[in-house]
Amino acid sequence: MSLASSGSSLPRRTGLFDMLRPGARAAFMTLAVSAVLLLFLAPIIILVVTSLRPGWGVYYIYRGTEFTLANYVEVFQRGVVIEAFFNSFLVATAATVLSLGVTVTSGYMLSRFKGWLPKTWFTSIYVFRTVPYISWVLPLYVVNESLGLYDTFFGILAAHVAVHVCFFSWIMKGFFDGIDPSMEYAAMIDGCTRWGAFRRVALPAAGPAIAALGILSWLWTWNEFLFALILTGNRTPLLTVTMAQFVTELGTEWNLMSAMAVMAMIPAVIITLFAQKYVIQGLRI
Amino acid sequence: MAEVVLRDVCKRYGSYNAVDNVNLTIRDKEFLVLVGPSGCGKSTTLRMIAGLEDISDGTIAIGDQTVNDLPPRDRDIAMVFQNYALYQHMTVYDNLAFGLRNRKVSEDIIKTEIDRAVDILGLRDLLKRKPRELSGGQQQRVALGRCIVRNAKVFLFDEPLSNLDAKLRAHMRLELKRLHRRVETTAVYVTHDQVEAMTLGDRVVVMNNSRIEQVGTPWEIYSRPSTRFVASFIGSPAMNFLDGKVKRNGSGYHIHAPGGAFHVSNESARGLVGQDGRDVIVGLRPEHIRLHDSKTDNALHGRVELTEQLGAEQLVEVIAEGARIMVSRVEAERELKPGTPVYLTVEPGQLRYFDQATEQALA
Repeated sequence: MSLASSGSSLPRRTGLFDMLRPGARAAFMTLAVSAVLLLFLAPIIILVVTSLRPGWGVYYIYRGTEFTLANYVEVFQRGVVIEAFFNSFLVATAATVLSLGVTVTSGYMLSRFKGWLPKTWFTSIYVFRTVPYISWVLPLYVVNESLGLYDTFFGILAAHVAVHVCFFSWIMKGFFDGIDPSMEYAAMIDGCTRWGAFRRVALPAAGPAIAALGILSWLWTWNEFLFALILTGNRTPLLTVTMAQFVTELGTEWNLMSAMAVMAMIPAVIITLFAQKYVIQGLRI
Repeated sequence: MAEVVLRDVCKRYGSYNAVDNVNLTIRDKEFLVLVGPSGCGKSTTLRMIAGLEDISDGTIAIGDQTVNDLPPRDRDIAMVFQNYALYQHMTVYDNLAFGLRNRKVSEDIIKTEIDRAVDILGLRDLLKRKPRELSGGQQQRVALGRCIVRNAKVFLFDEPLSNLDAKLRAHMRLELKRLHRRVETTAVYVTHDQVEAMTLGDRVVVMNNSRIEQVGTPWEIYSRPSTRFVASFIGSPAMNFLDGKVKRNGSGYHIHAPGGAFHVSNESARGLVGQDGRDVIVGLRPEHIRLHDSKTDNALHGRVELTEQLGAEQLVEVIAEGARIMVSRVEAERELKPGTPVYLTVEPGQLRYFDQATEQALA
């Protein structure tokens, strides 16, 4: 009754949720949140637990009490794993730095300048974006193979930069569209050149967006599997492909794969924790 | 502190003329307002003076230097934008210092200049804030401060008050006027608001369709509009225009208009000489019309259509033979029911006449 009387001054609500008592609402919310959390956390929990189980125990992770760090030791005793971590880190970092270097200026051009050059550039990006990601990989393989870049660090890096430049120029254009150009005009009147206005006013204003894009780019390259699988081989092992190689003819070494996967998650988790603000901004793209 | 001269200035976008043959001399230390409806070319003209737009034809000189090919940074101008255009990532102090630092001014002098500007504008407590922590009015003042510290030859204002609410706009208008008296600099101010144009300008330039319609002091523009457009654009409520016919009548002229005729004596018949028998457009300002209840000589007869009570006055719409005539400054207490017959008179000297075809004033 108290609800009904106090509700008279409020807008009328008819939802099922609003008809519940406040206590029941809280309980309902808790339940819903837990369900969602469980859905997202379960794979990670299973992964972590699997990585701590001996090889014979991985199918029974909900039974058994033997836990061991041996998987981690074993994984890191394989030279290829260390190499893969190192390579992936290098590719992700280099791809991010190089592609941002290009996309910041190319996005700015798309946003601020008119004429045939930006138009052509924008159209080509548009066309490339409509092509499914997977259809890039075979032509890239052929190109890399013919240029002698197959299974080289530069080969995989160039492929990533090419894709990033297309995808991120577009996003970067959106960022600069959101920044009022009169700020740059003011800077030009205040004594800057056109380039100076970009560098000293537009670029700092787009800073958070660039940071968000950088993080996304890094995580994307770090996690990327398809290009790595097709464009690299034994000479340039990468994280994701190396991880998949625990699937052998003799069966899948889930425990080792999980241990490596957990290790691979750590940089992503650290970045997400420390740069949450930017990542969230980036996710809104 | 310099004269700005525009000679035959044109701006073309393809086949479209955004600014068409503008000739204008802005005197040293003058506050000149460019006013007109949107798309009339006033902002483009300002941006050409600033160097933010190329000039298609003609020359622009600031002081004794032709600036056509000078980039904005070398023109020694300062500009305030509609949306303030403050550097979002810098504090107010750094915003004010930016232009001076670019010119390699020493930090000591920068500090003195900023102190001076801050005292004029009352920004002392805000120096450490970022622009997004300021209200619209405060941001506007920082933008003005950025101009003041620069000691530029010319100040350019691009609709600086249009993002403020009405009350603040009136306040900032006064501040701008006070500021110009204190910092005597040539200023060019663009607005679409006739009140700003009238109150701020030493001289006003009315633009329409990419061209200058009239240049003059606010009073000249109001009392002697040179075209029908200027007459309709300046003044609120807008001037009434009636189709009229001129008839010579002994000592003067008769102007026949819907609802009656005015007799105009020879002394007030400026512009009517030699126009006998001609069709003209007669312009009457709403504030110049007197409203009578009983039949009067030299009056137009009509009926009240609508009244708008403003408290201090009433606006009355009268229909005379199908023509709508707006009357303002009618006593608020006066009761005027729709349909009431009324008689409208005007001092003959306050009537304006325009050519039917060219819409130029006959004067």
